[in-house]
Amino acid sequence: MELTHRFTVPTGVEETWAHFEDIASVAECFPGAAVTSVEGDTFTGTVKVKLGPIALVYNGSGTFVEKDEEAHRFLVDAKGKDKRGNGTAGAKVMLTMNDNSGSTDVEVLTDLAITGKPAQFGRGVMQDVSDKLLGQFVSCLEARLTGPVTSDAEPAVGMTPEPPVAATAAVSTSPDGALATPPPTAPAPTRPVAAAPPADKPRPEDDSLDLGATVLPILARAYWKPVAGVVGVLALLIWWFAARD
Amino acid sequence: MIPTQFDYVAPTSIQDALAALAEHGDDAKIIAGGQSLLPVLRMRLNAPEMVIHLGKIDSLRAARDDGDAIVIGAMTTHHDVLHDPLVNEHAALIAKAVEHLADAQIRHRGTFGGALAHADPAGDLGAPTLALGAEFVIAGSGGTRTVTAEDYFVDLFETAIGEDEILTEIRVPKHTGWGVHYEKFVRVVHQWPIVAVAAAVKSNGSTISEAKIGLTNMGNTPVRARGTEAGLAGAELTEDGVRAACDRAAEGTNPPSDLNGDADYRRHLATVITRRAVLKAAHV
Amino acid sequence: MTATQERPAEQVEREIGKDRRRKEDQRLITGRTRWTDNITLPGMLHLAMVRSPFAHATITSIETEAAKASRNVVTVLTGEDLADTQGVLINAWPITTDQVAPTHLPVAIGRVAFAGEVVAVVVARTAAEARDAAELVDVNYDELPAALDLKEACAADSNNGVLAHPDLGTNKSAFWKFDSAEAGTGGDVDAAIEKARGDGIVIEREYRQQRLIPAFMEPRSTVVDPTGEQITMWSATQIPHILRFALAATTGVPESKIRVIAPDVGGAFGGKLQTTPEEWIVFAVARRLGKPVKFTETRSESLMTGHHGRDQWQKLTLSAEKDGTVTGLKVELTTDLGSHVALLGGGVPVLGAFMYNAIYKFPAYQFNCQTVLTNKTWTDAYRGAGRPEATYAIERIMDELAVEVGVDPFAIREQNWITHEEFPFTSVCGLEYDSGNYEAATAKAKEVFGYDELRAEQKQRRESNDLVQLGIGISTFTEMCGLAPSRVLGSLNYGAGGWEHASVRMLATGKVEILTGASAHGQGHETAFSQIVADRLGVPFEDVEVLHGDTQIAHKGLDTYGSRSLVVGGEALVLAVDKVIERAKPLAAHLLEASVDDLEFAEGRFSVRGTDQGLGIAEVALAAFAAHNYPEGTEPGIDAEATYDPINFNYPHGTHLCAMEVDTETGAVKMRKYVCCDDIGNIINPLIVAGQVHGGLVQGIAQALWEEAVYDDAGTLVSGSFVDYLLPTAADTISFEVEHTTSPSLTNTLGTKGVGEAGTIASTPAVVNAVVDAIRHLGINDIQMPCTPERVWKAIHAKDGGGDKPTEGAAMPHFDASEPGTDSTEGAGQ
Repeated sequence: MELTHRFTVPTGVEETWAHFEDIASVAECFPGAAVTSVEGDTFTGTVKVKLGPIALVYNGSGTFVEKDEEAHRFLVDAKGKDKRGNGTAGAKVMLTMNDNSGSTDVEVLTDLAITGKPAQFGRGVMQDVSDKLLGQFVSCLEARLTGPVTSDAEPAVGMTPEPPVAATAAVSTSPDGALATPPPTAPAPTRPVAAAPPADKPRPEDDSLDLGATVLPILARAYWKPVAGVVGVLALLIWWFAARD
Repeated sequence: MIPTQFDYVAPTSIQDALAALAEHGDDAKIIAGGQSLLPVLRMRLNAPEMVIHLGKIDSLRAARDDGDAIVIGAMTTHHDVLHDPLVNEHAALIAKAVEHLADAQIRHRGTFGGALAHADPAGDLGAPTLALGAEFVIAGSGGTRTVTAEDYFVDLFETAIGEDEILTEIRVPKHTGWGVHYEKFVRVVHQWPIVAVAAAVKSNGSTISEAKIGLTNMGNTPVRARGTEAGLAGAELTEDGVRAACDRAAEGTNPPSDLNGDADYRRHLATVITRRAVLKAAHV
Repeated sequence: MTATQERPAEQVEREIGKDRRRKEDQRLITGRTRWTDNITLPGMLHLAMVRSPFAHATITSIETEAAKASRNVVTVLTGEDLADTQGVLINAWPITTDQVAPTHLPVAIGRVAFAGEVVAVVVARTAAEARDAAELVDVNYDELPAALDLKEACAADSNNGVLAHPDLGTNKSAFWKFDSAEAGTGGDVDAAIEKARGDGIVIEREYRQQRLIPAFMEPRSTVVDPTGEQITMWSATQIPHILRFALAATTGVPESKIRVIAPDVGGAFGGKLQTTPEEWIVFAVARRLGKPVKFTETRSESLMTGHHGRDQWQKLTLSAEKDGTVTGLKVELTTDLGSHVALLGGGVPVLGAFMYNAIYKFPAYQFNCQTVLTNKTWTDAYRGAGRPEATYAIERIMDELAVEVGVDPFAIREQNWITHEEFPFTSVCGLEYDSGNYEAATAKAKEVFGYDELRAEQKQRRESNDLVQLGIGISTFTEMCGLAPSRVLGSLNYGAGGWEHASVRMLATGKVEILTGASAHGQGHETAFSQIVADRLGVPFEDVEVLHGDTQIAHKGLDTYGSRSLVVGGEALVLAVDKVIERAKPLAAHLLEASVDDLEFAEGRFSVRGTDQGLGIAEVALAAFAAHNYPEGTEPGIDAEATYDPINFNYPHGTHLCAMEVDTETGAVKMRKYVCCDDIGNIINPLIVAGQVHGGLVQGIAQALWEEAVYDDAGTLVSGSFVDYLLPTAADTISFEVEHTTSPSLTNTLGTKGVGEAGTIASTPAVVNAVVDAIRHLGINDIQMPCTPERVWKAIHAKDGGGDKPTEGAAMPHFDASEPGTDSTEGAGQ
């Protein structure tokens, strides 16, 4: 499945290009994505795809296969496996930037392959879902490139993700707000990572309050029960900070 | 196929249902008639830990008269909607759409609100409720709120219903006496419409005064064919009279491509099916 | 060609020809029977399969620890674990001696070659827990390029294309050819075509037989119990005998230690004519663990991994005189085998090899078939198996010839078909068609159809440029069924024979037990065979019990497919029954103290000619059981059995007429009328025949209009559910008018011909011919199946207007085309 998206940003090519040095930031633009580790040009992470009745979690990795500074083009090859063995998702994303008298025309060409159950589901639903998610991905890229990082993308209480964690964080794409859920894996301490999925629509309510109303109960029912205590404390802290805004 | 294990609760009041939803949040899925959720569970495309069944909440069933509108409870089955006298008198377009929805077995289990909460753009209820300007009543922990159809259908399988909210009823403004028709284009009787058109027409027998047209499966959500509606105002009730307006039916749409047809074909179909729906609605 | 038996002069037919309600229906329709999935044995374990999502990949690792630790999981096995015991799946019909076929392992080792191939097996105490654990098996793959497009795969050798099995070095499996000049049964087709290019007509067409999925109602299920003296396998199969043989041949377990039972089977249509990986896996795991094991597939698995049908590109070249008399036919097929050569594999297109010439007197004929491997589910028999493909091609191209010559499509057929007086007729392939009457069937069909009136309506609609056009499609089919004379199968390199066996046991209490090697899966054998026996033996219909489907009970047989059960199995039954009468005669004479020559047998009774002395067959049976008084030197007992090897195939025929309306505004097609007149020889049970005809028609119509198995460019089956694989229901079809004429077969006693596949074989071209006929005046000469509204509409509105080529652009599937290059948020019109 080949999908093409285009947009233009008001900044010059060199500056725009510089934004994409960091593969993690590219990956995190994908709705429902959370990067768990980065090593050179490779990242690992998860993508939680939630659309209507379908909820799938893909675990995988991606690599900068090509990074051409001259041509201002890079190619990311990402592959993931569904957590429940429902199939795989693979995306080859080729992003090309062209100078357009001080602005930059960006073209995103994605070759998407989804195998297994979701692709069998019927009526090409996965094609529509993928198109929608890619659209959100591109919008996020566009937003990142257009201006300073917006409040949408900021961690809720200034808790910045620290370098590589063994844990996996899954962020869902619900229409209402960013939800951070603690990860299920064993050794590392958990860390709620509040990263908002790029949104096309303005949220009905103020983010911080929204986060407070929704994050607390979500965090409270931790996937990984032993961490509940720690998370509970952290959640209270978040709520307290948020309520103070 | 066998779903993964899940817990099940069947609250008897909306408050209890909301509480269950709040308690389990992301791990829970609401089940109404199950006709959309069960196949997904069976194919393991979702694995909620808790399934909250609304079937025991009687207040969510049946339709009632509310002055200038009728109100249909979210848990009313398609079959009951189809046979409801209020629906047939004041919002017959909905009955027309439900008449050919899926098949008889599904109509006996599936619910009006369940289908609307599922928000499949190829579902038959989006177009008529959008065309009739329905309002969606959503209950949450903070109380109830009402959302217009325009704001309710957000995107593919996405509505204005929040993660911790429940659709309780749908208010449909009365369109008593309007000519109505739901024209469904399918290859086999039991499939989702390739394209379908819900048309409500007010006329004096020879000229259309007003038309409301909803399109099924012409985008990620149901779509109002506003260009056509505008063009039909004052149009002569003949094949040629409505043709130009109906040729605008695909304006602003973004139909899907699938094994039944690509986007271009669907755009073409929309114009033909809209014309047929309009003429049949006006009994031409 | 005779060798049929004389019917006893006093044979009264009370049962044969009667519309008997079926004995088996009460239990089948209410489900109060033992389907394989209903079987529960003490300590039984359940399997779940872990399957590859990729069409082609190497397996780099399989992590099973998490799954093994899952609740109630007994073990998890990979291909490596099962390497020594799983055996291998065979192809019973290598169509050439140099056929290339990859090794077909039930569980893949090292590499997967189609999406859905099993890579690991989970064994647990319940089916649900097995599925839960299957999710935890972590398989890592290195994706490989997949050979998906049939034509590209065929050409891959010569242009360094993608190979389905790199180690084979080619995608081409076998090339099979028949030439009438070489065979000495006809002329030189190339010469005929050459000549026609000069002074005659040459028509060249390419048709697509799309891939279909048998989609039987009962998903496949297998239970194996290794705990008895014999290993017992229950399987939803149509070939229990062949299964037993194949298991013995490939697993090393002695044949005498294997028992295969096909309990009631809920439909098959050729889709259960297979030796499947799942069956082999259940067998291997049960033996390994020493406990009963069951596996039942889900519908998703069934659609994806149950073998598919058809999938061919057909290139035809027809030569004729200017007046339309045919002079030659050349067929060039490219067929998709899928990832492995399945049980019949390339044999399926070959089964159609002798049917492209159909009912017409072609002087010269050539058939070429290249079978090709791809990374898709394998293909094999599906209702008609080779003959629907043949009938489709010839009936479509005959319509083209009619247009070229400028005559009515019936006229061109009448001009070229075998006349009634010419039977028995030896075709250009060397097959002898025993009997037929195309004139009578056609006349009857035309009359019931109202042919002239509908042609008039068509003309009127055309002249008034009606938005809804009318088309009439004809299909005058014949087919070769009643598979098959064993020697012919041998000459074709098929691994088994084509005989059938029946045993008749005359029980002491007067009841009759029939053991048949036929394996019913919905055909109603119990009823039809009871009717035959009732008439021939003179016993009540209710007193006959027909046993089948168990290799330990109906011990000898070659199962059911190819419309053979009545014409081959029924003949074996007749022979066995006649032997019973022959054996009973001396005993009856002895008991009646009369001479054998003075005895007559009629309506179940031996009577002494000229007297009123006699004995009923039941009394003779009792006497045989008691053995108190029987002729010296003879064996006590009157049971008998017979094995019958057919001397020829069987050639039912028919004329089918279809009227289709085409909505030129939307491309939607609607069936207006469907009439068929089938000549299937003598009819045993009209109700059963009606069921077969109606069901067959719908499956053939479904190929024309609705069904298609579609793969995306990653090799995933995207029509993997009934949402997209459009199976029609009764709500989608009209009432068919079914008539019959009767030209009894000359090659079996009852004069019957097969009917199980006839409806499917005939109807597809009738429908497509009708659709094309409706819009031919717009410059169209083909719509690729299935004739979706989109394809029809695009053909009507294509710029080049059709012409000689099939309407490529409009007709191709579009699913994996690029998206329009814009944001999905553009103008959503909310």
